[in-house]
Formats: sequence, structure tokens, C-alpha cells
Amino acid sequence: MSVTPALELSGINKSFGSKTVLKDVSMRIGQNEVVGLIGENGAGKSTLLKLLAGLHQQDSGGLRIHGIDRQLRNASHAAELGIGVVHQEQSLLTNLSVAENIHLGGAKNRNKDAGSSLGFLNWKTINAQATKSLRRIGLDMDPRAMIADLTFAQRQMVEIAKAVEVGEHAHALPIVILDEPTSVLEPSEIKRLAGEIQRLREIGSVIFVSHRLEEVLEFTDRIYVLRHGKVVAERETKSVNEEELFALMTGRQSVRVREDLQDFAEADTVLEVKNLSTAGGLDEITLTLKAGQLHSLVGATSSGCEEVVRAIFGVERITSGSIKIAGHPVDKLTVRERIRRGMAYLPSERKSEGIVSGMSVTENMALAHLDATHGRGLRRRNLEVQLSNMWMDRLDIRPRDGQAAIAELSGGNQQKVALAKWLCDPNLKLLLLDRPFRGLDPGAIESVKEAVRQACHGGVAVLTIADTLEEALELADDITVLKDGAVTASINVLAERPSVVDILGKMV
Amino acid sequence: MSLLKENPRPTTMGPHKGITRTVTKPAGQYGTAVALVILFAAFSVINPGSFMTAGNVITILNQATVPLILVTGMTFVVLLGSVDLSLEGTMAAAGISFVLLSRNSVNGNDFQLAALIIALIIGVLFGLVTGLIHNYLKVPSFILTLGMWYIGLGTATILYGDGATTLEPSPLVNWFGSTVFGLSNSFWIAVGVFCLALVLSKWTKFGRYAYAIGDSQEIAKVAGIKVFRYKTLVFVFSGACAALAGVIGSVKLGAGVVEVGSGQLFFTLTAVVVGGTLLSGGSGGVARSMFAILLLTVLNNGLVLSGVDPSIQQALFGCVIVIAVVLTALRKRDVLRVVK
Repeated sequence: MSVTPALELSGINKSFGSKTVLKDVSMRIGQNEVVGLIGENGAGKSTLLKLLAGLHQQDSGGLRIHGIDRQLRNASHAAELGIGVVHQEQSLLTNLSVAENIHLGGAKNRNKDAGSSLGFLNWKTINAQATKSLRRIGLDMDPRAMIADLTFAQRQMVEIAKAVEVGEHAHALPIVILDEPTSVLEPSEIKRLAGEIQRLREIGSVIFVSHRLEEVLEFTDRIYVLRHGKVVAERETKSVNEEELFALMTGRQSVRVREDLQDFAEADTVLEVKNLSTAGGLDEITLTLKAGQLHSLVGATSSGCEEVVRAIFGVERITSGSIKIAGHPVDKLTVRERIRRGMAYLPSERKSEGIVSGMSVTENMALAHLDATHGRGLRRRNLEVQLSNMWMDRLDIRPRDGQAAIAELSGGNQQKVALAKWLCDPNLKLLLLDRPFRGLDPGAIESVKEAVRQACHGGVAVLTIADTLEEALELADDITVLKDGAVTASINVLAERPSVVDILGKMV
Repeated sequence: MSLLKENPRPTTMGPHKGITRTVTKPAGQYGTAVALVILFAAFSVINPGSFMTAGNVITILNQATVPLILVTGMTFVVLLGSVDLSLEGTMAAAGISFVLLSRNSVNGNDFQLAALIIALIIGVLFGLVTGLIHNYLKVPSFILTLGMWYIGLGTATILYGDGATTLEPSPLVNWFGSTVFGLSNSFWIAVGVFCLALVLSKWTKFGRYAYAIGDSQEIAKVAGIKVFRYKTLVFVFSGACAALAGVIGSVKLGAGVVEVGSGQLFFTLTAVVVGGTLLSGGSGGVARSMFAILLLTVLNNGLVLSGVDPSIQQALFGCVIVIAVVLTALRKRDVLRVVK
């Protein structure tokens, strides 16, 4: 390892509003080194990456790039200094060619931009440069190909070439950041990526972000573990194993296991999903929910949890399998008909899909079941008000004012209104919740949890997608673990009393 | 709840993993060209002896002059995913200014080329103001340019004064009208603007960035493109095109009137859509728009020669748009979404 590290972070702090995301983070990435960065969802990985990409600025703390103190102003500044990021979501312009996309990445340093002069582009130079960049990472690809015509894996290779190109223009060894690069790749493509990373090590430094521990162990030289915004460990890859990384990532916190776990063997079956597959990639999902039971789906990003819920609700097309509600098949029904059968869905994008921001609390609650508050086709205000008063009491919605515009409520109270909108249906049998606590503060989380438990006590079956394993263990009677669109474990919490580590092992 | 639309989220799993964004390619740009040839042949058969004559072809090309200049600027704006509704206003303001600064019936001015340059500067200013407000104050281009349209018309009305100002012959005005290969210099200017636009769209940052921004403004920004600067420049270009069209329109009329651009917005925007440039941005180009302008001009000309009632002509034009829009919409449902 050479004397000057490629990148040094010292005491980085970052918070959004009152929420501290990064606390005193210090890291060092050497020249020609591949460093892994791991952490659970919400550990602060993506914030750290955005900081390095120049998209966020740290509140305090220092950043040294190739030995010089820097404050990254924006994305192009980061690129000028040789930091290339391959984002999890692809950032290629699909209507332009491979060469143009690579050129865009490298062309920021104006005086060294050989591909254009006075705003005019020299296609020959741009294509030749792109070919060179592609070759450097071992790719033989037509630089004139349109991005739209490439496969996902090919696009990712182009992204890597683009990230490397950035460093080339900065006349420094590039620092390439790969954000969850393997999450959507096939095994053969992952093998290929491993080769890319080896090549990148020869020409620069790499930060490899992933939650797939086996890959981190295979690809990297050194690993940083992030938890709750802090670097909790730094390990030489050689000296560490998967179990230890699990423990470091999750902290083995003691989890409050529910006291009131029941046996639902005798309860009525509400939902029966058998061998459900979708074009989106779900593979033979089977699960059963009893009345009053709370079932949590857990899985890493893009493991398919969301698709399961959306398929059950009827907004994701299924290719095979069956879905039954209280014994009746519903997989041919429209969303509207499924709602009539007692289904309800609370999406994770509360702001965009769960509430109508222009309306009042009362109007929002009355929205899904207009029959209940309408008489002979006309809206009955008094019925609406009765209904909303009742639910505001039950779920403790504050302020207790039905006329308040919902946009003015806190996130937790908005979520409770969104819940009430479905709970007020006397026919409700199955409640589908997509990460219902996301973005809420701890107090609000507790009260929304309470509302969900109340619904269960009332005999409603609840299927949630859990944000964290702790959340799943605390709430659920049953846990289904998904990975890459398939079920890897079905756990009955009462019978098996699993630990966080048990479940995590099934996830990755 | 907006759930009821088909899964709007990209699915990043399974065999067709993660093709998160794909661009629907518009039908080949030769579609419009083919339609143009067919229409041309059809009218030649319907009107033997009057349609397919050198004189009539020249008429068609002269008729296409002003719309061709306008559509060139507009195409770039639409490629961004924006729209510029102000062009009739810009035409009026620039056109009347040009007439009042050239040798005319009202005042003693005779600035020749300077009059043309000032008119173009007026167009540039309109585009600049639009671009700056659109980008920095985040006003949607649709409503903003609607306002700029009326500002242009208002400015023109004030300048118009008591009555139409007639253009007196002057070297510059005469030059616009004199012909090369049977076609007026005005037409050749339009051809020049079109060729310039072709070069801009293929070989300059201005053009390529317009495509990039139209595909995804966010990604373009992350890629280090100075998005606001280039978007503003596109509006400036569109403003300059409108001003030039206003000058040429005024020369053709021989007078400065507020209505110099009347009806041109409809014609121009129709051509952009018929040509196949997506209103959502990022896909299309000036060549397609040029073919569409010729198509619409030929349609107009042919219908007149065939003796079709003018009121029916209007309805027919409407049908052409609706059909073109349906054809585009079939390929990609949200192309008609004006995004920014």
C-alpha cells in the first residue's frame, strides 16, 4: 500500500433535520485497494456514498483525496477529483450512445476535454476515447451502441467504464464506488464483475458497498462495518468470517420478543397464497394467514417483498399460482373487487399513494368506503363526521380535528389516518402494509404499531413488509424470509423463537 | 390513490432483471417522409396539371418557409420535454420592430441589416427571459410561455400604433424576396437554419445535451451537464428562430402587423408531434419535424387546389393531428405528458 491513501475521511458528521445519519465516521482507502462497506438498511451507507459523490455535504469532518483536503461542492466537483460512482439505480442516459455517456462523465474537466471544442463534438475522438476506456476494463463493445439496446449487465459495465474515465481525466488514480452492484445481476454476471473489480484494483481504488456478505468477503481487501451511522468495526477481509460480520452489522441487540404470542392453528384462514409467480421475478411463493395473525415479510432490497404484497392486492401481474381470501379465489379479480372482498393496502409511499394531501382528515378517511357515508348517492356529512370522530378516538389521532388538512398532520398521524381509512370497513379481513413505519419518529412508530395490533385483536389478518428484523421480531407471529424473489424460510415466532442472526442468515 | 395504474415501479428482479428505463423509439423518421411522398402522388393524380407543376412546388416551399424556421426552434424545446407557446408573440414583437426600423411608411428609419439584428435580439431576449424564469424560478414552460406569448402580442400592439406600417423597398427587403434557383432567399435562409439545426443536434453539446436533458434531467445533472444553462440556451434559440420567422413573415406581408404569426403555433406544434418528437422529451429530431412541415404544407396546398371547402380543411387538419397523436400514443402511452 502506498504512503498517501487515495481517500481519507476523518470525523464526518451528517444529519438531516434532527436525525443524525452519520456520526464521527472515519475511513481510509488506500491506493489499489478494494474496500468493502457493509451495513443494514438505514445504517448510513447511502448517505456516506452521496457525500462522496458530492450530492450531499457533510456538516463537519474532513475529507482528503490523494492527500489534499477537499470539500466536495457538487457531483461534477467530485468527478473532477477522480471519484466515480456507479449508483444502484443506473444513471445512464438511455437515448444516447455508450460513447456519449462515457464522454459526459469525463468531459467535465474542460481544458482536458479533447472530445469537443467550442461546443462542437468530435465524434471520432469521443468514440476512440470510449473504446479505450472500455478496453481498459476489458470490454469489447461498440461505443456507438445506444444504451437503450443494452442489457442491464452491459449497462453496468458501461457505468464502470464511465466511473473509471472520470479518474482518468482528473489525472489521478480513480476512486470507483460501486453501490450494491450485484443486487440485480445473474451469477455469471457477478463472476464477470469480480473480474472487473480485480482490474479496477490495478488502476485505482474501489469502495464496494453491499449487504451480500459472501461477495464482500470474496471481492475486498478490507471491510468497514457501519451501524446506526457509526463505523463500528474495520477488519482485514482475511481475518474475518461471515458470522462475525453478521454480528458486527446487526449488533446482536437483544430484541423484545412479544409476550402475547398466540397459537393460530385453530383460527380461520384468511389468506392463502399458493405457488405464486410473477413476470417480475417472484418464484413459487406460498404463505398462509389466519384471522388476527400478523405476518411479516423480510428481505433485502429487491428481494421481492413488495412484489408479493402488490401481487396479492392485484397491481402486479401474476403468471401462475393462486390467491384465496377466506376460501374464495381472488386472483382473477380487479383491485376494486378485491377491496370489496376485504383487502386493504397501505403503500410505502404514504405521501404519493396513501393519502390525498389536498383533503381534510375526515375526507381522507371516508374516501375508500364511500358507501358507508353516502345515502342515495349523496354524500352525508354527518355520517362522515361520526366515522372520523370514532376513528380519531380509537387511534388517538392528533389534533383531534376532522377538518384539519391532512398535509398539516405529522407523519405518524397521517399514517394513522391512512390506516383508519381501511380499518373503518367492517368487512376488512386482510390488511397489507408496506413498510408502515418508514420515515416516522420513534413515538409515532409506537402508536402506529399499537393501531396495527388493535386491528389484529379485531380479527384482521395483517401482512407487513418489515423495515428491520427487529421490527419483524417484535410484531410478527409468523415471519417469511425472501431472497431474490423466493422464500428462503418460513418461521413461526412462537415455536421457533428465532434470533436476528438466524433470520439474517436466510436473507443473504 | 394512484395504485390502480399498472405497476409504475421498475421491477429489479427476475429473468428480465432491472431493465429499469428503456426509451420507446419513435417510428422511423422516414414514416413521415413516406407519407409525404404518398400524399404528393395522390394530389398529383387528383389535380393533374395544377399540383405537380414547378410553380406549385415553389409555392409549397415558399409557404413552408416560416413554419420551417419556427419548427426548428420548437423541436429543440420539445426535446427537452418543455414547450414554447410564445412564438406567435415573439414573431409579432420582432416583426413589427423590424418593420419600424427598416425603411417604412411611418418614420424615417432605415437601418437595413441592423434592423434585422435588433429584431433577432428581441427574440433572443424573449427566449432568455423565458429560459431564466423557467429554470431558476421553476415555472412550468407551458404556462410561462403562454404568458410570454401575450407579452409579445401586447408589445407588438403598442408598437403597431394607429395602423399598419408598410415596408418600403430597401436593399435588405429586396434581397429577401429575390430568388435563387426560382426560390426566394427567405426560403434559402430557412434551409440554412434547418441545416444549422441538424449540425447542432448531431455535433454540438447544445444538441446532445438537449437530448440528454430530455431523457432525464436528474441524470443529466448528475453527469455534470449544466442543465439550466443549456435549457435556457434552447429557449434562446427558439426565441431567435421565432424572431427570424417574424421578420420573414413581415417581409412577405410587406407590412408590420400584430397577426404576422397568427395560426403558426398550431401548425408548428402539430408538425413536431406528427413528425414524432415525443412531447415527453428525449426522442425525436429536427429532420422529422421538417418532413412533417412539408407534409402539412402539401396537405394544405393540395386541399386548396382540390377545391375543398376551407372550413372542412380545418377539420381535416384537426383529424391529422388526432390520428398522429393516436399513432404515437399507441407506441408509448405517456408520450403526451408534458413533463416540465
